[in-house]
Amino acid sequence: MPVPEVIKFEDVCFRYPDEDKWILDKVSLSIKLGEKVVITGPSGSGKTTLLYVCNRLYPDNCDGIMTGSVKLFGRESSSYAQGEVNHRVATVFQDPDAQFCMLTVEEELAFTLENLDVDRSVMAEKIDDVLTMTGLIEFRHAVIQQLSGGEKQRIATACALIMEPDVLLLDEPISHLDPYTARKFIAWLDELQNQKGFTVVAIEHRLDLWGTFFDRTIELQKMDQVPLLEKRKSSRQVEQSLLVQDVSTPYLKRTSFHLLKGEVAVLAGPNGSGKSTLLKALCQLIPAKGSVVPEQLGYVPQSPEFLFVTKSVEDEVAFGGGADVQDMLERLYLKRVAEAHPFAVSHGQKRRVAIAAMLCDGREVILMDEPTSGQDAAGLFELLQLIDERARNGATFVIVTHDMEFAYAIADSVLLMDQGELTGKFEAERVWANEGLLLAHHLLQPKGCVDNEVSYA
Amino acid sequence: MKSAMHEMNPSVKFILVTVCMFTLAFFFDPWTPFFVWVGVLLIQVLFSRIEWKRWLLFMIPFFIMAFGYFWTTIVFAEDRSGAVVWTLWNYPVTEVQLHHALSLSFRVLAFSGLSLLFALTTKPVSFILSLMQQMKLSPKIAYSILVGYQFLPVLKEEFVQIQQAHRLRGASKENNVVMRLWNMRKILLPMLAGAVRKSERAAFAMEAKGFTGEKRKHFYYVVGVGKVDGLMGLLFVILLVASCTSSIWIG
Amino acid sequence: MLKSWKLKEVVLMSLFSVVFGIVYLLFLHVGNIWAGFIGPIAYEWIFGIWFIVSIICMYIIRKPGAAVVSETIAAAIEVLLGNAVGPRLILAGLIQGLGAEAAFAATGYKRFNVWVLMLAGIGAAVFSFVYGYLLGGFAVFSTGYVVLMLAIRIVSGAMIAGVGGKMVVDGLLATGSLRGYAITRSVKGDARA
Ligand SMILES: Nc1ncnc2c1ncn2[C@@H]1O[C@H](COP(=O)(O)OP(=O)(O)OP(=O)(O)O)[C@@H](O)[C@H]1O
Ligand SMILES: Nc1ncnc2c1ncn2[C@@H]1O[C@H](COP(=O)(O)OP(=O)(O)OP(=O)(O)O)[C@@H](O)[C@H]1O
Ligand SMILES: [Mg+2]
Ligand SMILES: [Mg+2]
Repeated sequence: MPVPEVIKFEDVCFRYPDEDKWILDKVSLSIKLGEKVVITGPSGSGKTTLLYVCNRLYPDNCDGIMTGSVKLFGRESSSYAQGEVNHRVATVFQDPDAQFCMLTVEEELAFTLENLDVDRSVMAEKIDDVLTMTGLIEFRHAVIQQLSGGEKQRIATACALIMEPDVLLLDEPISHLDPYTARKFIAWLDELQNQKGFTVVAIEHRLDLWGTFFDRTIELQKMDQVPLLEKRKSSRQVEQSLLVQDVSTPYLKRTSFHLLKGEVAVLAGPNGSGKSTLLKALCQLIPAKGSVVPEQLGYVPQSPEFLFVTKSVEDEVAFGGGADVQDMLERLYLKRVAEAHPFAVSHGQKRRVAIAAMLCDGREVILMDEPTSGQDAAGLFELLQLIDERARNGATFVIVTHDMEFAYAIADSVLLMDQGELTGKFEAERVWANEGLLLAHHLLQPKGCVDNEVSYA
Repeated sequence: MKSAMHEMNPSVKFILVTVCMFTLAFFFDPWTPFFVWVGVLLIQVLFSRIEWKRWLLFMIPFFIMAFGYFWTTIVFAEDRSGAVVWTLWNYPVTEVQLHHALSLSFRVLAFSGLSLLFALTTKPVSFILSLMQQMKLSPKIAYSILVGYQFLPVLKEEFVQIQQAHRLRGASKENNVVMRLWNMRKILLPMLAGAVRKSERAAFAMEAKGFTGEKRKHFYYVVGVGKVDGLMGLLFVILLVASCTSSIWIG
Repeated sequence: MLKSWKLKEVVLMSLFSVVFGIVYLLFLHVGNIWAGFIGPIAYEWIFGIWFIVSIICMYIIRKPGAAVVSETIAAAIEVLLGNAVGPRLILAGLIQGLGAEAAFAATGYKRFNVWVLMLAGIGAAVFSFVYGYLLGGFAVFSTGYVVLMLAIRIVSGAMIAGVGGKMVVDGLLATGSLRGYAITRSVKGDARA
């Protein structure tokens, strides 16, 4: 018996109602039961849009215009009622803040089970099982809104798995996870998939962590060839630039450190260790004790939407009154969406808009919360160049990232955090060489570093 | 016993309170609402753990309002017949006028007493769940209300955040109170725009989790109907009957 | 009726109801205290504010039932927030919503210009007044006073709910966040026509 097709696209075209450009242009593909497929393509190429067509949220929910035929489980997708096909297709979205509708983790899971008509007597047991399996049992009664970005992403996966779906759609599922957790995540996803045999369709920019997990790659659009990230030269000057003294919040233990002019520091640590909290405390977005000099800092939040105040990408970048807006749009691949509403662009684009806006603002100290998440190789390369240029002109950066290659390429120094406490500020080289330190903070050794060692030997 | 009101099924409680209010609307004597009010207070003392300080705080506006009804009814009364019982700055107040004024004021107090009894002993989430489980409210609406309700603290936070985002992006902080109020208008629209976006995401999340809006067979949190509902229901009926017949036994 | 609604539209109504539920509650407290000094007529001036959600939601969503359901949800949320007017308010919301709905239904849910919105405000005012007349015991007041109350409420409904509601939504429309809702579709349609 042939293996049945679960998703089949035939000449599918899709566009948003206000745009003239077709986002999906004559896409044809077919995915069989039990396959593990990864979809790649540059940021803004329509990967998320494609996924939304697969779980039938689009075209209904956005008035999108679609032609061609989409078959899910052998049935025309338009013949399903709202939410019906989602009993068999589970989705983990790209944005950690856009996944939930209930207050606590338990309620969210129970809601999913109720939708599937699961008998009440087994609900509690199922919730227990999935939380134990994903290592999230301690979060059972946690309020979702108060969790960290990575924790939310893991909870979202648990919610998808509890459905025991036939198809699992994952939109950059590890982009907010620390490298160690990401590895574990892939390992048990693999194990689970082997056991249950469901289909996995994932979107991913960086395949190195996934190893041999995927059977096949669907390239939505050719990636431009970009040079590998190269380690930048330090641009540290002698003057002090950022001085942080005894900053603390209810979660954050007392933190003091200082950075020099032109210094680029990477802030790293496990999910939920308080990185975002620290950045927010530094910009006084949450009430915090202690002192920070200077007072006006630039800040790119983990959820970029929070920053937007205008109606178009271009205005957004120009808002701070900076020069070379056009140049910035060009370099961060935003020219194409310059006129678009900042909320109506792709996730990676949103993040780049926030980054561009802050870089154009001319602040002396800029804090960035996971600027690398959801960026393709070209975006990362450009980001590295931009930060390097600014740093040479004397700007100071604190960058939160889970991307070890990027961290290796960019960092002068590394701030490590664990359980709400700054464990220390280290010279970058010393951290990359110290495996014990890396492991204690859920980090992995960057490949660039390993290669260097090999060439020295 | 102190927890009887808290343990009641929210829908049953809701119906009882509503029935009491509608019955009261047909009585124009001062005694009926007065007795209902006193009865409600008694029930509150005996069968609930309401903090009186909190209760009083909520009640103050209604005391003021009751007073407002009292004097306007006297001044703008339609029916000025009956014996004059009272003269205020040469303004004669007849028995009928006083009767009406008192009945309206006590009505305000009885209504607010009943409402507070309901509001302060009912958990919002159980109320919605109970409306869905006992009153057959459509899950589509029930879960939408729950989502909205849960966004309340988020919206509050957002109110602060929008101000901060503006500040972060370089908008200056206004010290003048009038200007600050005027600038609020810049906040209402982003708040609503945020609400639109949040609702869209929440709806997507619900749908992606297989929510179809169909009636559901199984609930994780079951809100049941029990013995306490019957007993308290009986108590309310007795109170209502006693109050409504008060004009007869008082004379 | 519910079948034809997208989930995101219902959730939208609910979230707007939360935002305006807070506004309503604020005004209720102001109104209550004011009523202590000038009597029940105090509410009449600002009564329109309590109809605004039904008009806003209908103006955006444009489907039968949007006015009734949104106003009822707003009332329910107000109760959940701990409103001392309490359960009875849900019924009041339902009736106000029906009033607004009546106006839209009369125009066949086809036209949504400022006059229709004002008419909806008036509809809500009249319906709610009849309800208030029965439950609030307005019958004891002199006819002149009652007529004055009604007149003020109608003006307030037309201006605050009708005109005010339109202004809020038009502002929101300009921010571009209402894509994917009936109002954006119709604006585009108008532009093409
Ligand atoms: N709601 C929307 N309305 C209009 N255009 C949109 C909307 N969402 C996305 N777009 C546009 O559609 C294109 C594809 O977006 P999509 O989110 O599918 O990209 P993506 O491949 O997932 O990118 P990323 O890797 O950055 O997440 C982008 O150019 C974006 O500007
Ligand atoms: N508003 C809040 N109320 C209570 N606890 C919170 C709140 N926000 C965050 N936390 C807790 O503080 C801890 C640190 O959160 P934070 O967002 O700073 O983590 P993070 O290091 O940025 O993690 P990630 O890499 O996953 O983004 C988390 O365990 C989280 O549960
Ligand atoms: Mg995407
Ligand atoms: Mg974080």
